[in-house]
Formats: sequence, C-alpha cells, structure tokens
Amino acid sequence: MTVVMRLENITLEYPVPRQYRKEDVRPSGVRDISLEVKQGEVLGIIGRNGSGKSTLLKMMAGVFPPDSGTISTRGSVSLLAGVGVGFHKELTGRENAYLYGALMGRSTEQIDYLIEEIQSFAELEHHFDRPIRTYSSGMKSRLGISVATSFKPDLLLIDEVLGVGDASFRKKSEERVKEMISESGTVVIVSHSLGMLKTICHRIIVLERGSVRHEGDVELGLDLYVNGQKDTND
Amino acid sequence: MNRTIASPLCGVAVQVNYMSQVDGDDGLTPLWGKRSLNRLPFIVIGDLVRSRHLLRLLVKRDLNARYRRAYLGYAWAVLEPLLLAVVYTFIFTILVGSSDPLYPVKIIIGVIGWSMFARSLTTSTKSLSNSINLFQFARVPKTVFATSGTLTNAVLALISLSCLIPFYFIHDLPVTWHLLLLPVWLMVLSFTGWGIGLLLAPIACKVPDVLNLINFLVRAGFFLSPVMWTYDMFNTRFGDGWHAVVAHMNPTVIPITGMRDAVLGESSGIPGYGYAMCFGIAIIGFILGAMIFERKAHSAVVNV
Repeated sequence: MTVVMRLENITLEYPVPRQYRKEDVRPSGVRDISLEVKQGEVLGIIGRNGSGKSTLLKMMAGVFPPDSGTISTRGSVSLLAGVGVGFHKELTGRENAYLYGALMGRSTEQIDYLIEEIQSFAELEHHFDRPIRTYSSGMKSRLGISVATSFKPDLLLIDEVLGVGDASFRKKSEERVKEMISESGTVVIVSHSLGMLKTICHRIIVLERGSVRHEGDVELGLDLYVNGQKDTND
Repeated sequence: MNRTIASPLCGVAVQVNYMSQVDGDDGLTPLWGKRSLNRLPFIVIGDLVRSRHLLRLLVKRDLNARYRRAYLGYAWAVLEPLLLAVVYTFIFTILVGSSDPLYPVKIIIGVIGWSMFARSLTTSTKSLSNSINLFQFARVPKTVFATSGTLTNAVLALISLSCLIPFYFIHDLPVTWHLLLLPVWLMVLSFTGWGIGLLLAPIACKVPDVLNLINFLVRAGFFLSPVMWTYDMFNTRFGDGWHAVVAHMNPTVIPITGMRDAVLGESSGIPGYGYAMCFGIAIIGFILGAMIFERKAHSAVVNV
C-alpha cells in the first residue's frame, strides 16, 4: 500500500519550568516516534492526558517542527481541531468564510464554488452577512465546522473532537465528518471515545508519556489502554 | 470495513498544501526541508508572493475591522494626523515662538512618516504573539501575518497623505515630479520598520519584555525623530560633527526629511553617507530579520 506520511524518529520536548529543573522531571512532549500512515487506512491514537497525542498530530500537520527526526508526506493534509480559531469578530460570516478558506490555501474561486453550501450547512440564514460579534457561541461553532469540513484533503487529521450546537446540528456534523472520512479515505484520529475508535479504526496506537506503547491491533490496543489506566488508578 | 462515527465530531480544519518539490524514491516530501541561511531572505519574498491572495484578504480584514463601526470611517486616517498637527503647532508656536508658516505642513509629514515607521515596527514585532492560536493549528507562512499589518498601515498612510492637499492651495506649494518621492520615502520607512520587526518578532514571543521595550522606543523615538523638529533645525544647532553621524543612525531621519523636501520642493542637503546609512540599515535589517524570523519563528510558537 502507498505510504501517505512517514515519521522517522520524531522527538519534540517542551521545556521544563525553571523551578522544576533541579528535580529529575521528565519533559513532556513526544520521544523517538516512528510510524507510517498508509493510503486508505483509519489510524486511531489514544493515550492519557498529556501523553503527546495532540503534539504528535500537530507535527503531522506541519504546524510544529520536531526537535529531531523527519516527517515526509504527499498530497494535502488537513487538521481538524479547535473551533473558530482565526475568525475575526468585526467581519461577517461570509467574509470570515473567505478568509478561512484562504488560510487553508484555497483560492477565491474555489470558495465561490463552495460558499452556498457553507451557508446552508451552517444554517445561519441572514446572519451569514452580519458580523461574527453578533453570533451566539453555537452559531460560531456551526460556521467553523461548516467551513472546515467543506474542503476535502488527502490526509485528514482529527483531534479530540467536541460536540457543539444543538442535537440536530451535532447529528449533521457527525454525518459530515463521516462523509469526509469516507471521501478522504486516509484519516488519523485522536479521541477518548473508545466505542467510536473500535468501529472506525483499522489500526491503533497507544501513547504513554510521549512514547508508543502499542501499535497495531485495535482490540488489543484498547484493552491495553483501559487496563493500563486501571493499573495506574489502583 | 464499515466506518461509522458514534460520537459528535466537529472542529476547524486547517488545510495544508505541500507545494514544494517532491523528492525521495517514494514520492514523499519532507515537511521541514533543509534551507541554507543565505537563501532565507529570498524564501521570505517567495512565500509572500505565493500567499498574495491571503495577504490581500488579511489587509482587507484589518482595514474593515478598524473603521467599519466608526461613523467617519476612513476619514479618521486623514483626521488623525491633521488633529495631531493642530495640537503640536499650537504647543510649538507658544513654547518656541516659531514663526515658520510652513511648520504645520512639516509636522503633518513628520507625524505621517513617523507613525508609518512606528506602526510597521510594532505590528510586525507583535505579529507572532498576536496570532499564536492560529499558528498552533494552521501551516501558513508566518511572514504573511507580519507583513499584512505593515501593508494595512501603508494603505492608511497613503490615504492620510491627502490631508496635505489643502495646504497646496493655502501656501501655493510647487507641484513637481519630486512629489513622486513622497510615497517612495513612505515605503522606505515601512520597509525598515517591517524588517526590524521580523527580527524582533520571535524574540518577543519568548521574551515579552521586548514588547514593553518597543512601546518605550516608539514613545521616545517620537521625540528623537524629526517629527516636531526638522533636519534644518538640527543642522543649525549641531552642525555636521559627530552629532550628525549619530542622528543619521536613526533610520527615520532621512526618509522624513526626504518626504518634506518632496512636498515643499526644497533640498535639505542630506550628505551621501546619510543616504547610505538609511538604506544600509533598511536592507541589513530586512536580511537579518528574514534569517532570524525563518529560523526561530516556528519553534517560538511551539514553546510559548
């Protein structure tokens, strides 16, 4: 199978605050991770808080440069995380949609083509042409998701996704992401929802304090994660 | 395999298009390729040219956001230097007893020129720390954000130049081709501020004290630059000894004087080394700024 992304001995460590430096505190981050993402697979990443899941995903998205190691990729990569980052409150929903599209590397023509769909999906109606500062938080999130999910990347990275909006919009965004996963094909997903990972993932990685503890079989990985948590909790 | 998602999913996607050349046998492109130091200034320029679409949208956003809710809108860009000039002229004629009828014109030019430089410097220095949330999700050239603020201010400065028009009628000022130098000098000021800002931005991200220092420099620089005083006043007072050399190290002295000369159709007799120092600081500032920004900005965003 074609390799879409390859990580070789990736390390990124966050600095330890000065007052802790004398004690032997291990810096957080990820250490010496190597892995390949193959075309058409859904790869799940699980681990406790602070185990390095988001850091790993941000490096895969090319946002954080690793301290050492190399990351190589082909095609377009898209990171789905955080709602409304980059929106400007004085601009209208429509203007923000164009700006956001441009941040994702899209041309005005490409956004022209998608704008009606973005508007109808976000269910904002006439509010679409009012400044964002007049929006409720639910409306902002709906606009964010609508813009974010309208572009289809070759490799989709999904980080710790949240539920926003009312029940019917949540269902709609679920459908949309499902659609994105089937269209993009290749997905790396970070989540705490074990049930979902079990149904969609082909392969799973368990991270523990910045290193890979398990890579491969989904059932085994989830088992290891759940039991590992029990052990540490006991 | 049947892929279904059982839990609500949403968020903001940030798309990356890896445009760089494919290398390696397997068709994979490294995300962080090796780049030699002396190519970095060209890489910065290349990134800006490629991202011109985004740059235009960001400038439009800044302009819209600044004046959209004001009743007078863009008129503020003209009113601001005009009102400042009224205040300074009032103070200066009372305190110093200056009788130069062209003094208000000189002050307006000084205010426009100085704010162009100060705003370029401040916005590009703050660009990284201001957009840090975005840089943690989006792979966009960070220089675009450092540049959009500078371009926005350049547009505003060009608009505010129109407040000089009435003075052409009042004082019957000469309209010559020298006027074309007015926007050129403005661009020199904005370029210099931008370059030094690029240099300081990654440092400001790690050491917030730099931002306080910049605020102080901008306030002090207002008095140390020819806003309220002119090149002539300086020359009559200090001549061209070592004072003059020190004064020329201020990168705003020559451009602001150049702007005044362009409007008034005069020549202040700026020495050759003055021009050399002014352009030297601008170019070296940009080259060093581009190198430091490209080397340090990416990791500066990680370790905040």
